[in-house]
Order: sequence, then structure tokens, then C-alpha cells
Amino acid sequence: MLSLLPLPAAFAQGNRDFMRETGKINVVVAVILVIFLGIVWYLVRLERKLTKLEHQTKDDHEWKN
Amino acid sequence: MWWKTLSVVLVLYALSIGLLIPLKPGVVRVSPETAATGQALSLQVYGYNSFFSKSEPGQIRVWLEYDSSRATAAQTIKVLNDTTLEASFQLPPYLPKGEKSTLLTAIVDHPADGVSLLPNAIKLIQDTAFLKSGATVSSMVSDSAWTLQPIDNLHVIKDFSFPYRNVIYESIRNTYYHVPMWFVLMFLFIASVWYSIRYLGKPDPDFDRKAAGYAEAGLLFGFLGLFTGMVWANYAWGKPWSNDIKQLMTAVALLIYLAYFILRRSFDEPEKGARLAAVYNIFAFASLIPLLYIVPRMFASLHPGATGNPAFGSEDLDNTMRAVFYPSILGWTLLGFWIASLRIRYQRLHDRSHGLD
Amino acid sequence: MNWRHFIILLQKEFLLEFRQRYAISGIVLYVFSMIFVVYIASAKADISPKIWNVLFWLVVLFASINAVVKSFVQESGARQLYYYQLAEPVMLLLSKIVYNTLLLMVLSCLSFVTYSVVAGNPVKDAGLFWLTLLLGSLGFSIAFTFISSIAAKANNSATLMAILSFPVILPILLTLTNLSKFALGLMPPLATYDRDIINLLAIDGILVTLTFVLFPFIWKD
Repeated sequence: MLSLLPLPAAFAQGNRDFMRETGKINVVVAVILVIFLGIVWYLVRLERKLTKLEHQTKDDHEWKN
Repeated sequence: MWWKTLSVVLVLYALSIGLLIPLKPGVVRVSPETAATGQALSLQVYGYNSFFSKSEPGQIRVWLEYDSSRATAAQTIKVLNDTTLEASFQLPPYLPKGEKSTLLTAIVDHPADGVSLLPNAIKLIQDTAFLKSGATVSSMVSDSAWTLQPIDNLHVIKDFSFPYRNVIYESIRNTYYHVPMWFVLMFLFIASVWYSIRYLGKPDPDFDRKAAGYAEAGLLFGFLGLFTGMVWANYAWGKPWSNDIKQLMTAVALLIYLAYFILRRSFDEPEKGARLAAVYNIFAFASLIPLLYIVPRMFASLHPGATGNPAFGSEDLDNTMRAVFYPSILGWTLLGFWIASLRIRYQRLHDRSHGLD
Repeated sequence: MNWRHFIILLQKEFLLEFRQRYAISGIVLYVFSMIFVVYIASAKADISPKIWNVLFWLVVLFASINAVVKSFVQESGARQLYYYQLAEPVMLLLSKIVYNTLLLMVLSCLSFVTYSVVAGNPVKDAGLFWLTLLLGSLGFSIAFTFISSIAAKANNSATLMAILSFPVILPILLTLTNLSKFALGLMPPLATYDRDIINLLAIDGILVTLTFVLFPFIWKD
């Protein structure tokens, strides 16, 4: 049953270069992952800044009231 | 807004179509990779994405090509499976021009897959052992054996598929994910310079926020382009860095904008920082342009369009690829501007709440 | 455009330099030390013309940055205000660029002489090499003078000067090293260097134009 899954099979043949498997498709996977993770990292950073700003403005309102 | 929807649609299109469309069939390698003239050669041909068993065995033809008018054809062909052929050749006794050895191109043609070829597939060495003493190869040479079986009636399949290229194989799809990063970087930096120019004309803090916001998003995409390029180059060209014009341009642009952000933050008065950073932005960006003319003269580029490139041929972008590539550029660019606009809106709120606007 | 102001400002530059002789002596000593360090670091190994070229331009680059960085930094706020009332900003910048060009020419010639004493002189085409030195001084002077006028306004000007100017100077530096490769006879015999010289002049032209358009914005406060 497990042998039907392509990924464990690819890992099982440890002496082969993973990034060059099946016509180097894994290079494409790596590139897409880098782009996706990069954009997510940027958005997380932006969200942190926004949260900080939200807290600051909330404090200001409380202080003014 | 409509362009944000468009960016999502286009990036999704590039991701799905760019990954789903198959590669055209190709020849990965042949075995053995050297042979001698006059030999009866049994050649294993390994195909990629090929369907050898879909064609009648008699319809499959294999050649070893010397040049456009000289080739030798396989006499019998046995299909072992969809991606493996066994072709038997009776190699001609002499090379056409009396060379010691030459590299031949392997060509496979059949109705199911069309024609596919592998340049420099096999090294053919002139056999001299059979010559009588005193006789030289050059006196015996004739190329008549090479013109008996011309390459003709090739099957050209017109379907929606990406070109097959040796060395890069499936990673040709990175054209839709890695290459647009460079375009996004350029568009974002141009937008940044544009707002710097406008800021010098009229010192509106909003122009400054835009210049900085576009520059920051440009930095993000620049780093993404650089990293993805290094990953791809490592497996296509063998090393992650190779003094290529686009790599150099990106690296220098990143240096400029990293310096730009340090410059912005080294002033006590924000207005002064914004003004001087705008001046530097314009000056540095303009000085980047001459690199486009200078660098190609000094470093051979590995990117498509340059000579001596083994990975991409002159036809590196065919129409099928264009149908994905251009929408992909537009999609990623709009996404870049979307991210930048979020950054700018954050900065506007921040400045307002801190009384800087 | 008032050329009399230009002459006066240029004279002022020379006068200031003459009064602060220790500053220029410092730069000269800097060049000597750097060349000596390069010589010691290469451990008396034979320096091939290729490496000679790279090291030489690095020496000139760093000497130039250090020579030019003071041109705006050294001016006090009060004196700047005085210039501002006295002359057009463009004239001020022009006088600084011309002065720095002359200074850098002297410095790079000095570097060349010293460097060829310790590391040998592989130059084949002396005329071209001197031309390259002159063009290099001009390009360095334009870019560095302008950047130093930005950096001078900030707090950490020495660091800023370096990080702001390196990416900007890269096209000039690449063309210069290429040109001097011709002078060292490192290029294939059929290659010609006309386009390099044209490139260099074009870059200088672009930089000068931008400099004069943008400088009034720096000089505003």
C-alpha cells in the first residue's frame, strides 16, 4: 500500500539526488515554496506592525477618555 | 478592487496551467555514448514523456545525424517500453570528412510523439584498424553512405505543451515563477523612483510613503528573485552564482535600496531624510541603467537570449510558453503592487497616529 | 551662471587644502599604507597582471573615497550658510567636483607610481593607462562628491558614504578595470576599447547632469 505513494519511494532511494528526480520537477517545487514563504513572511511582519499600531491607538483612546 | 482580483486570477492561472501542461517528448540520453565506424551498433534510446508503444513499431524511425544533409538511419527498431527503444545501426565505414571523431545528434520520429532530438548524443570514432598498411582514411573517404537515408517526412505535433530542453527538463516551468520576480522588482523600483521625483516637485509626505513602500516591496521581490534564481541555477548551470547580468543587476539594485533605507533612517527630521533619500533614489537608479550596456560585454550571460547557452536555445520562449509567461508577469506585478499598497496604507495610519502627517 | 564665483570657490578649495595640509598628508599616507599592506598581504608572491589590475583599482577606489568624503563633511554649518548666500549651489558643486578631480588625479598617479615600485609595472600601453586614470578620477570625483554632499547631512557620514557610493560607482569601476585590462595587454588582440571609453564618458555625462539637477534639493536647508 505504502509503495503506491510516490514520495516515500523517492526518499527511499537515498543515493539519488532528490532535486534532480523526475526531470527536475522538484526544483520547480522549491522555487514556488521560496516565493510563497517569502511573501507569507513579509505579510506576517506587516501584521505584527499593524497589531502594534492597533495597540498604540487603543491606548491613546483610553488615555484621552 | 478589480486589479487585485485580476492578480489572483492571473497568478492562479500561472500556477495551475504552468504546472499542469506537459512537456513535449524528448530524448534524455542514448547508450552507449561512443561507437566506432563500421560497427554494428545496438543503441538504447531513452525518451522523456514519450509514448513509443503508441506508434506501430514500423513507424518509429531513429537517425544519427551528422549535419542537415548527412545522417544514418537505424535498420531495425525494438520498442522495450514507452520510454526505451533499441535501435540497430550498421554504421558507415568512414566519417564524411575524414575526421578522427565527431559528435552526432540522435533523432527519433514517430506519429504519436512527433520528432525529438538530442544534440551531441554519441561520439563516433573513426576505426582505422581494418585499414591496410599505407592506406590513409582521407584517400578512402566518401560520404555516399551518409546520404542514403535522408531525414524526411518528420511528424510535427501541434499541441499545447511546453518545449523539452535538455539539462533543465521540467524546471523550464520556473520561467513563470522565477523570471517574473525580476520584472516585479523593476516595475516596483520604477514606481518608487517616480514617486521620489514627484516628492522633489512637491514635498507631500504621501509621495515619500509611496516611494518607500514600493521600494520595500521591490526589495522583497528582489530577494525572492535572487534566492529562487540561485536554487534554479544550482541545478541547471551547476553553481548558484555566475556573474550573470540579471543576477548582478538585481544584486546592485538590492544594495542600492538597502542603502536607501539606511539613509532614510539616519536623520532626525523626517522631512530631511525623505528629501535626501528621494535624491539618492533617483541618482542611484539612474546610475544602475548603464550596467545594462556594460555588463553584457564583460560577462557572458547564461540567461536566454545570450550566446553560448546550452540550456536554452534561440527558441527559448515558444507560443505556448508566452501564453503563460506574459499573464504570469502581469499577475505577479499586480500582486507586488497590492502588497506595496498594504505597506503604504500601514505607514499612512502609523504617521497619522504619531502626528507626523 | 556666474563663472567668477566658480573661480573664487575653486581658489577657496585650494586655499583650504593648503591650510589643512595635515588632511592631504593623511590621505597620501593612507595610500602608502594601503599599498604596503597589499604588498605584505600578497606575501611577496608574483602578482599576475590580472590580480595587479584588481588590487590597483581597489587601492584607487578606497583612496578616492577617503579623499572626497571630507569635501562636504568638513564644512561647518555656519560656513555652508555663508556659501549659500554667496553663490549659486551649482557653482559650489562644480568647484568641488573640479577640485576633487584634480586631487584624485594626483592621488591616482601617486598610487600608480608607488604601486609599480612595490608590485612591478605590467602596463603595456602607457598612454591608454594614463587616460584611464584621468577618466577614472573624473568619474569617481563626480559620483563621490555628490554622494558626500548627501552623506554630510547625516549623522554617521563615513559609513553612509561607503554604502551609498559603492553601488553607484560599480558601472564606472567595471568599465575602468576593463579599460586598464586593455592597457595591460590582457585582452584578445582584436578587441577594441573605443566603446569602453564612450561608455565611461556617457556614464560621466549622465551622472553630471543628474548631479546638477538634484544638487539644489540637497542644498536647500
